[in-house]
Amino acid sequence: MSAPRRALLALVALFVSAGCGSPPPLDKRLETLGSWTATMQLAKERHGAGAITVTYATQLRDAADEAFQQASTTIGSSARTRTDSAYAATALDSLRNAIRQLEAEIGS
Amino acid sequence: MKKWGELALGIVTSIGGFLEVGSIATSAQGGAEFGYQLAWVLLLGTLSLAMLMEMTGRLAAVSKRTYADLLRERFGFRFFVVPLVAVFVVSLLVLMSEIGGVAIALQMASGIDFRWWAIPIALLGWFLLWRGNFSIVEQGTAMLGLVAISFAVGALVLHPTWPTLGRALLPSLPSHDHARYWYLAVAILGASISPYLYLFYSAGAVEDEWTIEHLSVNRVTAGAGNVFGGGLAIAALVTAALVLAPRGIRVEHYEQIALLLATPLGRTGFVLFIATLFVTCFGATLEIVLAMAYLLAQGFGWSWSENLKPGKDARFSTSYSVLILLAALPIALGADPLSLTNISMVLTAASLPVTVVPLLVLMNDGDILSSHVNGWPSNLALVVMGLLSLVLLVAALPLQLLGGG
Repeated sequence: MSAPRRALLALVALFVSAGCGSPPPLDKRLETLGSWTATMQLAKERHGAGAITVTYATQLRDAADEAFQQASTTIGSSARTRTDSAYAATALDSLRNAIRQLEAEIGS
Repeated sequence: MKKWGELALGIVTSIGGFLEVGSIATSAQGGAEFGYQLAWVLLLGTLSLAMLMEMTGRLAAVSKRTYADLLRERFGFRFFVVPLVAVFVVSLLVLMSEIGGVAIALQMASGIDFRWWAIPIALLGWFLLWRGNFSIVEQGTAMLGLVAISFAVGALVLHPTWPTLGRALLPSLPSHDHARYWYLAVAILGASISPYLYLFYSAGAVEDEWTIEHLSVNRVTAGAGNVFGGGLAIAALVTAALVLAPRGIRVEHYEQIALLLATPLGRTGFVLFIATLFVTCFGATLEIVLAMAYLLAQGFGWSWSENLKPGKDARFSTSYSVLILLAALPIALGADPLSLTNISMVLTAASLPVTVVPLLVLMNDGDILSSHVNGWPSNLALVVMGLLSLVLLVAALPLQLLGGG
C-alpha cells in the first residue's frame, strides 16, 4: 500500500473513531451536568433579583431538564466502576435539585 | 464635510456589523471555557479582517469592480468556480445560523419556539431587500447594531483584570483540553474573518460608487471600525470569562448566553442582550444573503445592484429571494442553531484559502491598481494570512471531530 493511501486510511480511521466511537468520557459528562447545575443556580439568583423573565427562566429549565433526561439514560455507559457510578448519581441529584429550586423560584 | 460624514458612517457600520451570531457564540464559549486566554485569537481575527477589508475596498475603489468580478476576470471562470462554490456553501450555512440567532432572540422574548420564527424572519428580510435599497441594509441595521456596545458596558461593570487581559492578547498554550482550545480558536477565526464580510464590503464600495478619493475613508473605516467591532467581541469574551467561567458554566445552548448581560446589568442587560442578538443577527442575515446574490450575479455576469428595482436585475433579486427562504428551512425544521453556528464557523475558517490566496495576485497587479498596488508590509501580512488560512484548511475538520463535542 502506498504512503499517501496509508495516510488517508489513518485519517479516515481517526475521523470514524472520533465521530462514532465510544461515548464521551465520564469527566466530560460530569462537566456538562455541573454546567447545567450552575446555570440553574445562576438563573434562580438572577430571577430572584428581577433580572430575567419567567418566560426565559422556563426555557432554561426546559433545556436543563432535557440535558438531565439525556444524561440519566446514557451516563451509565460512561461509568465503568462503582466510584464512577457514585459520582454520576451525585451529579444527577445535584442537577435535579437545582432544577426543582428554579421551579420553586419561578412558581412553575 | 461629506467625507467626514462618510467616515463616521463607515466606522459605525463596521462596529455595528462586526458582532453577529458566530462572534457572540464563539466568544462566549471561549470565555466560559478558557477565561481570557483566547483573546489573542480575536485580536488576530480582527486585524486580519481589517487588512482584508482595506485591500478589497481599495481594489473596488481604484478599479470600480468588485473582488468577485476581478477574481473571475483575472483567473478565468474555471478557477472562479472553486471560490464560488466554497464561499457559497459556507455562507449558506452561516446564513442559516444567523436566522437561527434571530429566531432564538425572539424565542427568549416571547416563549414561542424558535422554529416558528424562521419563516417569518426570512419573509421580513426578503421584504426589506425587495422594497429597500443598499443604504437601508448597510446603514439601518448597522446603526441599530450599536446596541451591541452593551457588551462593552457589561464587561466594564464587571471590572476585568486589565494586566491579565493584556497578557491574553499574546498567544499562549492551554493548560487543559488542547483539542477544544484549538477548535474554539479556529471557530473564533472563522467567525471573525468570514469571506462574506469582505465580499459584501467590496460590493458595497461599488454600490456606493467609491473612487480613488475614497481611499482614506476606506483605510479608516476598515481599520478603526474593525478594531472597535473586534473590541466588542473581546468584551463578550471578557464578560463570559467573568460571569460563566468562575461558576463552571459551559455554553451548551444559546439560551445560556443571555445570562452574560443579565448578571452585570440586571433586567436592562437581559433586554439589551435579546436586542443585540436580534439586531446583529438580522443585519448579518441581510448582508450575507446580499453577498451571496452578489457573488452569483458577478460570477455569472448578471445585472446586479440592491439600488435597482427588482425587475431591472431579475436574476439577482430572484437569487436573494430563493436563498433567504432556503436558509430558513433547516431552522424551521428544528436544526440546533448553536451546533449549526459552530460547524459553519469552522468550515468558514477552512474556506479562507480560496479567497485569501488569490487576493495576493490581484493586489500586486499594476494593470488593475496602478500605483495603488500593495507595498511589502501589506504583502507580508497577506502571505502570513494565506499561510494561516492553509493551516486552518488542514486543521479545521480534525478539530471539529476532536474538539467540537
